[in-house]
Amino acid sequence: MKILFLFILIFHISHVNADEIYNLIKIPNLEIYKLKNDNNIRYLSAKGDFKIGINKNISCDKVNINNLNSKFPLIEKNLNRYNSNFLNKIKLKYIVFCENLFISEINTGGIPDNKNRTLILDINFNKKYFERMMHHEIFHMIQNTHIEYFDENKFSSFNMTSFNYAECSTCSDRLNLDLYEKTDGFLTEYSKSIPSEDMAEIFSFLMTDKEIIEDKINSDKILNNKVNFIRLNLAKIDKNIL
Amino acid sequence: MIKTIKASKSEKILFIFLICLSIFAFTSFFLLKNKCLFVDKNNLNKLNFNNPDNIAVMNVECGNVIIELYPNISPKAVERFKILIEQKMYDGSAFYKVSENTFVQAGDIEYGNINNLDYSKIGSGKSGLGLLKSELSNDFKFTEGSVGFARATEFDTEDSEFFITLKEIPIYQGEYTPIGKVVYGLDILTNIKTGNKAIYVLRPDYIKTFRMFNSN
Repeated sequence: MKILFLFILIFHISHVNADEIYNLIKIPNLEIYKLKNDNNIRYLSAKGDFKIGINKNISCDKVNINNLNSKFPLIEKNLNRYNSNFLNKIKLKYIVFCENLFISEINTGGIPDNKNRTLILDINFNKKYFERMMHHEIFHMIQNTHIEYFDENKFSSFNMTSFNYAECSTCSDRLNLDLYEKTDGFLTEYSKSIPSEDMAEIFSFLMTDKEIIEDKINSDKILNNKVNFIRLNLAKIDKNIL
Repeated sequence: MIKTIKASKSEKILFIFLICLSIFAFTSFFLLKNKCLFVDKNNLNKLNFNNPDNIAVMNVECGNVIIELYPNISPKAVERFKILIEQKMYDGSAFYKVSENTFVQAGDIEYGNINNLDYSKIGSGKSGLGLLKSELSNDFKFTEGSVGFARATEFDTEDSEFFITLKEIPIYQGEYTPIGKVVYGLDILTNIKTGNKAIYVLRPDYIKTFRMFNSN
Protein backbone atom coordinates (compact mmCIF):
# COMPACT_ATOMS: atom_id res chain seq x y z
CA MET A 1 0.00 0.00 0.00
CA LYS A 2 2.83 2.36 0.95
CA ILE A 3 4.64 1.56 -2.29
CA LEU A 4 1.48 2.28 -4.26
CA PHE A 5 1.05 5.61 -2.43
CA LEU A 6 4.68 6.51 -3.11
CA PHE A 7 4.24 5.62 -6.79
CA ILE A 8 1.14 7.83 -7.05
CA LEU A 9 2.97 10.63 -5.25
CA ILE A 10 6.01 10.45 -7.51
CA PHE A 11 3.75 10.36 -10.57
CA HIS A 12 1.79 13.33 -9.23
CA ILE A 13 4.76 15.50 -8.33
CA SER A 14 6.55 14.77 -11.57
CA HIS A 15 3.90 16.15 -13.84
CA VAL A 16 3.00 19.57 -12.50
CA ASN A 17 5.16 22.56 -13.30
CA ALA A 18 5.50 24.74 -10.26
CA ASP A 19 6.37 28.33 -10.98
CA GLU A 20 5.29 31.67 -9.54
CA ILE A 21 2.35 32.14 -11.94
CA TYR A 22 1.10 28.58 -11.48
CA ASN A 23 1.26 29.19 -7.75
CA LEU A 24 -1.06 32.16 -8.20
CA ILE A 25 -3.69 31.11 -10.77
CA LYS A 26 -3.09 27.36 -11.16
CA ILE A 27 -2.34 27.40 -14.87
CA PRO A 28 1.09 26.10 -15.93
CA ASN A 29 3.38 27.31 -18.73
CA LEU A 30 2.43 30.98 -18.60
CA GLU A 31 4.54 34.09 -18.83
CA ILE A 32 3.80 37.77 -18.34
CA TYR A 33 2.67 39.56 -21.51
CA LYS A 34 1.72 42.96 -20.05
CA LEU A 35 1.52 43.70 -16.34
CA LYS A 36 0.93 47.42 -15.92
CA ASN A 37 -2.44 48.65 -17.14
CA ASP A 38 -4.71 51.50 -16.10
CA ASN A 39 -7.52 49.19 -15.02
CA ASN A 40 -5.07 46.86 -13.21
CA ILE A 41 -5.82 43.94 -15.49
CA ARG A 42 -2.83 41.67 -16.08
CA TYR A 43 -2.16 39.92 -19.38
CA LEU A 44 -0.44 36.54 -19.47
CA SER A 45 0.39 34.33 -22.43
CA ALA A 46 0.95 30.60 -22.81
CA LYS A 47 4.62 29.88 -23.46
CA GLY A 48 3.77 26.19 -23.70
CA ASP A 49 0.69 24.02 -24.16
CA PHE A 50 -1.33 23.39 -21.01
CA LYS A 51 -4.06 21.13 -19.71
CA ILE A 52 -6.05 22.02 -16.61
CA GLY A 53 -9.35 21.29 -14.89
CA ILE A 54 -11.10 18.17 -13.77
CA ASN A 55 -9.57 15.21 -15.62
CA LYS A 56 -7.51 17.79 -17.56
CA ASN A 57 -10.58 18.52 -19.68
CA ILE A 58 -9.44 22.03 -20.59
CA SER A 59 -6.57 22.25 -23.04
CA CYS A 60 -4.91 25.06 -24.94
CA ASP A 61 -1.78 25.56 -27.02
CA LYS A 62 1.02 28.05 -26.68
CA VAL A 63 0.65 31.38 -28.44
CA ASN A 64 2.51 32.53 -31.48
CA ILE A 65 3.81 35.84 -30.19
CA ASN A 66 3.48 37.58 -33.59
CA ASN A 67 -0.11 36.45 -33.78
CA LEU A 68 -0.76 37.83 -30.28
CA ASN A 69 1.04 41.08 -30.98
CA SER A 70 -1.18 41.68 -33.99
CA LYS A 71 -4.40 40.99 -32.05
CA PHE A 72 -3.52 42.58 -28.72
CA PRO A 73 -4.47 46.21 -29.56
CA LEU A 74 -8.04 45.11 -30.32
CA ILE A 75 -8.22 43.01 -27.16
CA GLU A 76 -6.81 45.81 -25.00
CA LYS A 77 -9.15 48.38 -26.54
CA ASN A 78 -12.15 46.26 -25.58
CA LEU A 79 -10.96 45.38 -22.09
CA ASN A 80 -10.04 48.98 -21.33
CA ARG A 81 -13.77 49.70 -21.34
CA TYR A 82 -13.99 48.08 -17.92
CA ASN A 83 -12.66 50.10 -14.99
CA SER A 84 -10.63 48.54 -12.17
CA ASN A 85 -13.43 48.94 -9.64
CA PHE A 86 -15.83 47.02 -11.87
CA LEU A 87 -13.23 44.35 -12.60
CA ASN A 88 -12.70 43.91 -8.86
CA LYS A 89 -16.42 43.44 -8.38
CA ILE A 90 -16.64 40.74 -11.03
CA LYS A 91 -13.39 39.12 -9.89
CA LEU A 92 -11.43 39.51 -13.09
CA LYS A 93 -7.73 40.27 -12.87
CA TYR A 94 -5.90 37.95 -15.27
CA ILE A 95 -6.39 37.46 -19.00
CA VAL A 96 -4.63 34.34 -20.30
CA PHE A 97 -3.90 34.18 -24.04
CA CYS A 98 -3.52 30.85 -25.78
CA GLU A 99 -4.50 29.19 -29.05
CA ASN A 100 -6.96 26.40 -29.84
CA LEU A 101 -8.85 26.34 -26.57
CA PHE A 102 -10.91 23.23 -25.92
CA ILE A 103 -13.16 22.19 -23.06
CA SER A 104 -14.18 18.53 -23.05
CA GLU A 105 -13.08 18.39 -26.69
CA ILE A 106 -15.40 21.26 -27.68
CA ASN A 107 -13.67 24.29 -29.20
CA THR A 108 -14.49 27.49 -27.31
CA GLY A 109 -13.46 31.13 -27.45
CA GLY A 110 -13.08 31.77 -23.76
CA ILE A 111 -13.32 30.16 -20.34
CA PRO A 112 -14.08 32.35 -17.32
CA ASP A 113 -12.82 31.31 -13.89
CA ASN A 114 -14.03 33.63 -11.13
CA LYS A 115 -12.31 31.60 -8.43
CA ASN A 116 -8.88 32.34 -9.87
CA ARG A 117 -10.01 35.76 -11.25
CA THR A 118 -9.00 34.58 -14.70
CA LEU A 119 -10.40 34.62 -18.21
CA ILE A 120 -8.72 32.31 -20.72
CA LEU A 121 -9.03 33.57 -24.30
CA ASP A 122 -8.36 31.72 -27.54
CA ILE A 123 -6.78 34.38 -29.75
CA ASN A 124 -7.57 32.28 -32.82
CA PHE A 125 -11.32 32.33 -32.20
CA ASN A 126 -13.52 33.31 -35.14
CA LYS A 127 -12.31 36.77 -36.18
CA LYS A 128 -15.82 37.95 -37.02
CA TYR A 129 -17.10 37.37 -33.49
CA PHE A 130 -13.91 37.81 -31.49
CA GLU A 131 -14.79 41.14 -29.85
CA ARG A 132 -18.29 39.98 -29.01
CA MET A 133 -16.92 36.73 -27.62
CA MET A 134 -14.74 38.60 -25.09
CA HIS A 135 -17.69 40.59 -23.73
CA HIS A 136 -19.86 37.48 -23.81
CA GLU A 137 -17.40 35.62 -21.55
CA ILE A 138 -17.06 38.65 -19.29
CA PHE A 139 -20.81 38.62 -18.82
CA HIS A 140 -20.54 35.09 -17.44
CA MET A 141 -18.12 36.48 -14.85
CA ILE A 142 -20.57 39.29 -14.08
CA GLN A 143 -23.40 36.82 -13.62
CA ASN A 144 -21.33 34.39 -11.54
CA THR A 145 -20.42 37.14 -9.09
CA HIS A 146 -23.87 38.78 -9.05
CA ILE A 147 -26.26 35.90 -9.38
CA GLU A 148 -28.84 37.80 -7.32
CA TYR A 149 -29.18 40.42 -10.07
CA PHE A 150 -29.35 38.01 -12.99
CA ASP A 151 -31.96 35.52 -11.89
CA GLU A 152 -32.49 33.06 -14.74
CA ASN A 153 -36.12 32.23 -13.90
CA LYS A 154 -37.06 35.89 -13.95
CA PHE A 155 -35.21 36.41 -17.21
CA SER A 156 -36.78 33.30 -18.78
CA SER A 157 -40.26 34.59 -17.93
CA PHE A 158 -39.88 37.25 -20.64
CA ASN A 159 -40.08 34.54 -23.30
CA MET A 160 -43.24 33.10 -24.85
CA THR A 161 -44.62 30.39 -22.57
CA SER A 162 -44.26 27.85 -25.36
CA PHE A 163 -40.48 28.36 -25.57
CA ASN A 164 -38.05 26.12 -23.70
CA TYR A 165 -34.31 26.50 -23.39
CA ALA A 166 -32.04 23.46 -23.76
CA GLU A 167 -30.70 21.53 -20.76
CA CYS A 168 -27.22 22.97 -21.22
CA SER A 169 -25.32 25.24 -23.61
CA THR A 170 -23.51 22.39 -25.37
CA CYS A 171 -26.28 19.79 -25.36
CA SER A 172 -28.25 21.51 -28.11
CA ASP A 173 -27.42 22.25 -31.74
CA ARG A 174 -28.28 25.93 -31.23
CA LEU A 175 -24.75 27.18 -31.73
CA ASN A 176 -24.90 29.75 -34.54
CA LEU A 177 -23.67 33.21 -33.54
CA ASP A 178 -25.05 35.16 -36.51
CA LEU A 179 -27.51 37.94 -35.66
CA TYR A 180 -31.09 37.05 -36.61
CA GLU A 181 -32.73 39.25 -39.18
CA LYS A 182 -36.05 38.76 -37.35
CA THR A 183 -35.19 38.42 -33.69
CA ASP A 184 -38.43 37.23 -31.98
CA GLY A 185 -36.91 37.65 -28.54
CA PHE A 186 -33.51 36.17 -29.41
CA LEU A 187 -30.53 37.82 -31.02
CA THR A 188 -28.83 34.63 -32.22
CA GLU A 189 -29.45 30.92 -32.38
CA TYR A 190 -27.01 30.50 -29.49
CA SER A 191 -29.24 32.79 -27.39
CA LYS A 192 -31.80 29.99 -27.44
CA SER A 193 -29.47 27.49 -25.76
CA ILE A 194 -29.76 28.47 -22.07
CA PRO A 195 -30.76 31.66 -20.18
CA SER A 196 -27.21 32.63 -19.20
CA GLU A 197 -26.05 32.41 -22.83
CA ASP A 198 -29.08 34.45 -23.87
CA MET A 199 -28.13 37.14 -21.35
CA ALA A 200 -24.46 36.99 -22.38
CA GLU A 201 -25.39 37.41 -26.04
CA ILE A 202 -27.48 40.50 -25.24
CA PHE A 203 -24.69 41.99 -23.14
CA SER A 204 -22.07 41.34 -25.81
CA PHE A 205 -24.20 43.00 -28.51
CA LEU A 206 -24.82 45.97 -26.20
CA MET A 207 -21.06 46.35 -25.83
CA THR A 208 -20.21 46.01 -29.52
CA ASP A 209 -23.30 46.84 -31.62
CA LYS A 210 -25.46 49.07 -29.48
CA GLU A 211 -27.17 50.81 -32.40
CA ILE A 212 -28.30 47.52 -33.92
CA ILE A 213 -29.85 46.47 -30.60
CA GLU A 214 -31.59 49.84 -30.20
CA ASP A 215 -33.10 49.28 -33.61
CA LYS A 216 -34.14 45.69 -32.93
CA ILE A 217 -35.87 46.38 -29.60
CA ASN A 218 -38.19 48.93 -31.19
CA SER A 219 -40.06 46.13 -32.90
CA ASP A 220 -39.43 43.27 -30.45
CA LYS A 221 -41.15 43.57 -27.08
CA ILE A 222 -39.61 40.42 -25.61
CA LEU A 223 -36.13 41.51 -26.57
CA ASN A 224 -36.87 44.98 -25.25
CA ASN A 225 -37.77 43.52 -21.83
CA LYS A 226 -34.64 41.40 -21.81
CA VAL A 227 -32.37 44.30 -22.76
CA ASN A 228 -33.93 46.48 -20.06
CA PHE A 229 -33.44 43.69 -17.54
CA ILE A 230 -29.71 43.47 -18.38
CA ARG A 231 -29.26 47.25 -18.38
CA LEU A 232 -31.13 47.79 -15.13
CA ASN A 233 -29.28 45.11 -13.21
CA LEU A 234 -25.89 45.93 -14.63
CA ALA A 235 -26.37 49.53 -13.50
CA LYS A 236 -26.65 48.21 -9.94
CA ILE A 237 -23.03 47.10 -10.27
CA ASP A 238 -21.69 49.98 -12.35
CA LYS A 239 -23.67 52.74 -14.04
CA ASN A 240 -21.01 53.49 -16.63
CA ILE A 241 -20.43 50.15 -18.33
CA LEU A 242 -23.34 50.33 -20.78
CA MET B 1 61.73 -18.58 -10.99
CA ILE B 2 59.57 -15.49 -11.35
CA LYS B 3 60.79 -12.98 -13.80
CA THR B 4 60.06 -9.37 -12.78
CA ILE B 5 58.79 -7.16 -15.54
CA LYS B 6 59.62 -3.48 -15.33
CA ALA B 7 56.80 -1.05 -16.10
CA SER B 8 57.39 1.12 -19.10
CA LYS B 9 57.43 4.93 -18.79
CA SER B 10 54.01 5.31 -20.37
CA GLU B 11 52.54 2.69 -18.01
CA LYS B 12 53.95 4.60 -15.02
CA ILE B 13 52.39 7.84 -16.29
CA LEU B 14 49.04 6.11 -16.78
CA PHE B 15 49.22 4.63 -13.28
CA ILE B 16 49.94 8.04 -11.70
CA PHE B 17 47.15 9.59 -13.75
CA LEU B 18 44.66 6.98 -12.52
CA ILE B 19 45.69 7.55 -8.88
CA CYS B 20 45.27 11.33 -9.29
CA LEU B 21 41.89 10.80 -10.95
CA SER B 22 40.65 8.59 -8.12
CA ILE B 23 41.80 11.09 -5.47
CA PHE B 24 40.08 13.90 -7.36
CA ALA B 25 36.86 11.90 -7.78
CA PHE B 26 36.84 10.83 -4.12
CA THR B 27 37.36 14.34 -2.74
CA SER B 28 34.95 15.89 -5.23
CA PHE B 29 32.25 13.46 -4.19
CA PHE B 30 32.46 14.49 -0.54
CA LEU B 31 33.00 18.19 -1.24
CA LEU B 32 30.15 18.49 -3.74
CA LYS B 33 27.81 16.48 -1.55
CA ASN B 34 28.17 19.14 1.13
CA LYS B 35 25.91 21.82 -0.36
CA CYS B 36 26.63 24.15 2.56
CA LEU B 37 30.40 24.18 2.11
CA PHE B 38 30.78 27.64 0.62
CA VAL B 39 27.73 29.26 2.21
CA ASP B 40 28.08 32.00 4.81
CA LYS B 41 26.36 30.72 7.94
CA ASN B 42 25.69 34.21 9.39
CA ASN B 43 27.06 34.13 12.93
CA LEU B 44 24.54 36.02 15.09
CA ASN B 45 27.22 37.29 17.47
CA LYS B 46 28.69 39.38 14.67
CA LEU B 47 25.42 41.00 13.58
CA ASN B 48 23.80 44.19 14.88
CA PHE B 49 20.40 45.60 14.05
CA ASN B 50 18.73 48.97 14.58
CA ASN B 51 15.39 47.39 15.36
CA PRO B 52 16.10 43.94 16.85
CA ASP B 53 12.47 43.49 17.94
CA ASN B 54 11.53 42.95 14.32
CA ILE B 55 14.36 40.61 13.41
CA ALA B 56 13.67 36.88 13.12
CA VAL B 57 16.29 34.17 12.72
CA MET B 58 15.43 31.05 10.77
CA ASN B 59 18.01 28.31 11.19
CA VAL B 60 18.19 25.75 8.40
CA GLU B 61 20.75 23.13 7.38
CA CYS B 62 23.23 25.60 5.86
CA GLY B 63 22.98 28.35 8.48
CA ASN B 64 20.91 31.32 9.62
CA VAL B 65 18.50 33.27 7.46
CA ILE B 66 17.88 36.70 8.99
CA ILE B 67 14.50 38.29 8.25
CA GLU B 68 13.43 41.84 9.02
CA LEU B 69 9.69 42.02 9.69
CA TYR B 70 7.53 44.94 8.55
CA PRO B 71 4.74 45.56 11.10
CA ASN B 72 4.13 48.99 9.56
CA ILE B 73 2.98 47.40 6.31
CA SER B 74 1.03 44.43 7.66
CA PRO B 75 0.60 44.63 11.46
CA LYS B 76 -1.76 41.68 11.92
CA ALA B 77 0.29 39.36 9.72
CA VAL B 78 3.54 40.24 11.49
CA GLU B 79 1.88 39.83 14.87
CA ARG B 80 0.72 36.33 13.83
CA PHE B 81 4.16 35.49 12.46
CA LYS B 82 5.80 36.49 15.75
CA ILE B 83 3.33 34.40 17.76
CA LEU B 84 4.07 31.33 15.64
CA ILE B 85 7.80 31.90 16.03
CA GLU B 86 7.60 32.49 19.79
CA GLN B 87 5.50 29.35 20.25
CA LYS B 88 8.16 27.44 18.24
CA MET B 89 5.47 26.23 15.85
CA TYR B 90 7.72 26.62 12.82
CA ASP B 91 10.42 24.35 14.21
CA GLY B 92 10.62 21.29 11.94
CA SER B 93 8.43 22.89 9.28
CA ALA B 94 9.28 21.49 5.83
CA PHE B 95 10.01 23.50 2.70
CA TYR B 96 7.54 21.29 0.90
CA LYS B 97 6.89 23.64 -2.03
CA VAL B 98 10.03 24.92 -3.74
CA SER B 99 10.43 26.30 -7.24
CA GLU B 100 14.08 26.47 -8.23
CA ASN B 101 15.51 30.00 -8.04
CA THR B 102 11.94 31.32 -7.69
CA PHE B 103 10.52 30.75 -4.20
CA VAL B 104 10.52 28.45 -1.18
CA GLN B 105 7.43 27.79 0.93
CA ALA B 106 7.02 26.35 4.41
CA GLY B 107 4.86 26.77 7.48
CA ASP B 108 2.11 24.15 7.29
CA ILE B 109 1.93 23.51 11.01
CA GLU B 110 -0.54 20.63 10.84
CA TYR B 111 0.60 18.52 7.89
CA GLY B 112 4.00 19.95 6.94
CA ASN B 113 6.20 19.14 9.92
CA ILE B 114 9.18 16.99 9.05
CA ASN B 115 8.18 14.52 11.77
CA ASN B 116 4.62 14.26 10.50
CA LEU B 117 4.52 14.94 6.76
CA ASP B 118 1.18 14.17 5.15
CA TYR B 119 1.51 14.66 1.39
CA SER B 120 -2.17 14.01 0.79
CA LYS B 121 -3.12 17.03 2.90
CA ILE B 122 -0.02 19.21 2.83
CA GLY B 123 -0.80 22.86 2.18
CA SER B 124 -4.19 22.65 3.85
CA GLY B 125 -3.03 22.47 7.46
CA LYS B 126 -4.14 24.93 10.11
CA SER B 127 -2.26 26.54 12.97
CA GLY B 128 -5.32 26.60 15.22
CA LEU B 129 -5.04 30.39 15.53
CA GLY B 130 -7.67 31.12 12.88
CA LEU B 131 -7.53 32.79 9.47
CA LEU B 132 -6.28 36.33 8.91
CA LYS B 133 -7.56 39.06 6.63
CA SER B 134 -5.19 39.76 3.75
CA GLU B 135 -3.13 42.93 4.26
CA LEU B 136 -2.25 43.73 0.68
CA SER B 137 0.04 46.54 -0.32
CA ASN B 138 0.13 47.94 -3.82
CA ASP B 139 3.47 49.59 -3.02
CA PHE B 140 5.36 46.60 -1.67
CA LYS B 141 7.48 45.05 -4.41
CA PHE B 142 8.21 41.35 -4.16
CA THR B 143 11.88 41.68 -4.93
CA GLU B 144 14.46 38.99 -4.21
CA GLY B 145 14.21 37.86 -0.57
CA SER B 146 10.67 39.11 0.10
CA VAL B 147 8.69 37.18 2.69
CA GLY B 148 4.93 36.89 2.19
CA PHE B 149 2.06 35.05 3.80
CA ALA B 150 0.75 32.27 1.56
CA ARG B 151 -3.00 31.86 1.19
CA ALA B 152 -5.59 29.66 -0.46
CA THR B 153 -7.06 30.76 -3.82
CA GLU B 154 -9.30 33.21 -1.98
CA PHE B 155 -8.09 36.26 -0.08
CA ASP B 156 -8.45 36.45 3.73
CA THR B 157 -7.29 32.86 4.16
CA GLU B 158 -3.79 33.52 5.54
CA ASP B 159 -2.88 31.37 8.52
CA SER B 160 0.72 30.19 9.02
CA GLU B 161 2.26 29.26 5.67
CA PHE B 162 4.77 31.68 4.23
CA PHE B 163 7.00 31.93 1.19
CA ILE B 164 10.28 33.65 0.44
CA THR B 165 11.03 34.84 -3.09
CA LEU B 166 14.42 34.00 -4.59
CA LYS B 167 14.00 36.46 -7.46
CA GLU B 168 11.84 39.48 -8.18
CA ILE B 169 8.25 38.37 -8.83
CA PRO B 170 6.33 41.47 -9.97
CA ILE B 171 3.07 39.58 -10.44
CA TYR B 172 2.86 39.02 -6.66
CA GLN B 173 2.60 42.75 -6.00
CA GLY B 174 -0.81 43.42 -4.48
CA GLU B 175 -1.59 39.70 -4.42
CA TYR B 176 0.04 38.51 -1.21
CA THR B 177 0.41 39.93 2.31
CA PRO B 178 4.02 41.05 2.79
CA ILE B 179 5.68 40.11 6.08
CA GLY B 180 9.25 41.26 5.64
CA LYS B 181 12.50 40.78 3.78
CA VAL B 182 15.57 38.62 4.13
CA VAL B 183 18.50 40.82 5.16
CA TYR B 184 21.12 38.06 5.41
CA GLY B 185 21.26 34.48 4.16
CA LEU B 186 19.43 34.50 0.86
CA ASP B 187 22.18 32.27 -0.58
CA ILE B 188 21.29 29.73 2.11
CA LEU B 189 17.76 29.54 0.73
CA THR B 190 18.97 28.95 -2.82
CA ASN B 191 20.44 25.71 -1.47
CA ILE B 192 17.07 24.43 -0.21
CA LYS B 193 16.14 21.18 -1.95
CA THR B 194 13.80 21.74 -4.90
CA GLY B 195 11.06 19.61 -6.37
CA ASN B 196 12.87 19.62 -9.71
CA LYS B 197 10.08 21.54 -11.47
CA ALA B 198 7.43 19.58 -9.58
CA ILE B 199 5.10 21.24 -7.13
CA TYR B 200 6.02 19.23 -4.02
CA VAL B 201 9.42 18.20 -2.72
CA LEU B 202 10.01 14.61 -1.72
CA ARG B 203 12.13 14.30 1.45
CA PRO B 204 12.27 18.10 1.82
CA ASP B 205 14.65 20.34 3.74
CA TYR B 206 13.16 21.89 6.84
CA ILE B 207 13.45 24.69 9.40
CA LYS B 208 15.54 23.53 12.36
CA THR B 209 14.60 26.45 14.59
CA PHE B 210 12.88 29.78 14.09
CA ARG B 211 13.41 32.41 16.80
CA MET B 212 13.14 36.15 17.29
CA PHE B 213 16.61 37.71 17.37
CA ASN B 214 16.11 39.04 20.89
CA SER B 215 15.37 35.59 22.28
CA ASN B 216 18.70 34.17 21.02
